Amino acid sequence: MSEFKKLSEAIIAGDREAAIKVANEIVDKGLDAVEAIEKGLMVGAKEVGEKFDRLEIFLPELMMSADAMQAALNVLLPQIPKGKIPRKGIVVCGTVKGDIHDIGKNVFAAMLRANGFEVYDLGIDVPASKFIEEAEKVGADIIALSALMTSTMGEQKDVIDYLKAMGKRDKFIVMVGGGPVTRQWAEEIGADGYGETASEGVKVALKLIEERRRVK
Amino acid sequence: MITLLDVVERALTGRSCYEREYNNVFSSKLKEVIKEYGIKYDPNTPIPSDNTLADDVFQAALDFYLDVGTYCLDTGRIIKFNESEIKDALKTSPSQLLFGEGMDAKIMVPRTPESKISPWCFLGAGGAPVSSEEVFLKLVEGYASIDIANSITTPALTSVRGMRIRPGSPLEILGTIRTIVLAREALRRAGRPGLPIMNALATATAAVSLNTALHPNYGLRETDGYLIAITAELKTSFDLLNKVCALQSLGYGGICSEYGPVYGGYCGGPEGTVIAAVAGHFMGVLVYRAGWHLIFPIHINYGCNSTPELLWVTSVYAQAISRNTHLLSLHLNYTAAGPCTEMCLYEIAAQRLAAIPSGASGIESLGAAKATHEDYTTPMEPRFAAEVAHAIVGMRRSDANEIVKKLLPKYTNKIANPPLGFKYQECYDTLTGKPSQRCLEIYSKVKKELEDIGLEFKL
Repeated sequence: MSEFKKLSEAIIAGDREAAIKVANEIVDKGLDAVEAIEKGLMVGAKEVGEKFDRLEIFLPELMMSADAMQAALNVLLPQIPKGKIPRKGIVVCGTVKGDIHDIGKNVFAAMLRANGFEVYDLGIDVPASKFIEEAEKVGADIIALSALMTSTMGEQKDVIDYLKAMGKRDKFIVMVGGGPVTRQWAEEIGADGYGETASEGVKVALKLIEERRRVK
Repeated sequence: MITLLDVVERALTGRSCYEREYNNVFSSKLKEVIKEYGIKYDPNTPIPSDNTLADDVFQAALDFYLDVGTYCLDTGRIIKFNESEIKDALKTSPSQLLFGEGMDAKIMVPRTPESKISPWCFLGAGGAPVSSEEVFLKLVEGYASIDIANSITTPALTSVRGMRIRPGSPLEILGTIRTIVLAREALRRAGRPGLPIMNALATATAAVSLNTALHPNYGLRETDGYLIAITAELKTSFDLLNKVCALQSLGYGGICSEYGPVYGGYCGGPEGTVIAAVAGHFMGVLVYRAGWHLIFPIHINYGCNSTPELLWVTSVYAQAISRNTHLLSLHLNYTAAGPCTEMCLYEIAAQRLAAIPSGASGIESLGAAKATHEDYTTPMEPRFAAEVAHAIVGMRRSDANEIVKKLLPKYTNKIANPPLGFKYQECYDTLTGKPSQRCLEIYSKVKKELEDIGLEFKL
């Protein structure tokens, strides 16, 4: 079995130790780290995402795979010159102010990580200003806002309004999601993207990032 | 007896642990008890008649909750109870509760699998959002006009004078007050002023909103029901405990712990979800001193609980609780499809067939179209749910299983992309409050289909 195949298997198994071991072997053998990410990690991540969509695996397994992915990346990324790092994008995510539900957001964060995004998860009950402050600090491409209650959806609009008021709306892609959130709501509040499920959200994030890079 | 002060003390002094660690322990302990007790989901039997399975799930949930306890989000500590505390709380929890006033006062009682006791019918919107106070009034009047409604679940107002409600803000307090004032007015208009409101109150996310609305001037009553959420999975917070504190201080007996374990989340599969659902009852009686319980297992991708796996979860948790305790436990259903669609009615029938013959004390019906779209709720679907629930009183689980197996092929392939259906304003004459011909035709067609496969409608 090739080293890249071994790496993807470790991700699918959610085996952090194995992922680190194979990543180190790849480095020791002088194999291309970018290729390892694309042909090993990403292949594994894709399969994990598909298995989760079909509920053949569940959130704990998904998070273990995301952890394994991150651990392998920690070994591989230092081998790659800065400009060549195949990072999909930087995302700041969290559950909006007044809302303490986090399972959907955790799934989304795990799937983003497994798909090569750098994710800063701000947790739950996050005020509008905190999202923006953190997004600026880390140079985020996307601010992703989760809300699980009809009573907290308004906070998603508040973040967008806050960005507009600060003259920073165009700096970030804003995505929304969560149980009561609909496509219609996303359009109404001027969000750039919406995902009914976490995997749809990841696909939308990838598409939006690509579009943004093309425009730039 | 475990008091609220005991709970708070444990929340302040219990074992400290990061939330992530709690989530991991939650998942791994679930896997352990599933293995130890040999709990296994059978896709061919959405409604099992296996008493041993139900009792094993109950025992597994007890072992599980003893190990994991409840996580307090504010203190980052685990609130734990020992076995005798759990068993004492189950023993001393009320076996009946009185809700409502005057002609609409009624006692909620527990049921057992295949019981001939009529189920409690808690009907309405399941907290679904509505666009205006006018729609809210019409809907609640419509729900209260369902003769077999024992209590009402109101919709959620989303704005106050055009301003969208924000949690914990004055808008939420004002929205909560408006909700109760309008709901009481709608019940008066329906001629049922004593009917209890039992989702007090969907608009009140923060304790400050509920606690303000408890002032007697606004119309909430001691005989209403009060839903206190268990945050998934088995977590609480000081804000939730603050609601409990206010209600207990006033001596209100209608506290309900409401819990939606997430299938596909930290619970894992159907086996973990059913154990978490049972454990949620233990948390409810201990942490909130809840007198009744509302369970709504939910699908992580689809946001409904009409999938075959979740029908099994519904059936097995209801059997586990009703065979091993006298707790008052209702099931809340969320459909994928929206109002005025055949699919929505098939889902409702399957969900009620899973809950009622399995011993659920009653139903809350319903969150149509996952209760996420403004105004996509009508009185037709909850009426249908209650009629089905009454029709299947005394039905054997094995018979319910056969009927559900005939219903599942009618909708399961559409769950991922369900029909949204129609808004209240499109389904009902807003002046007369009467359903459209289209709604009536769909309702009659599906009822006839159900009669053809074994249901006998009594009401």
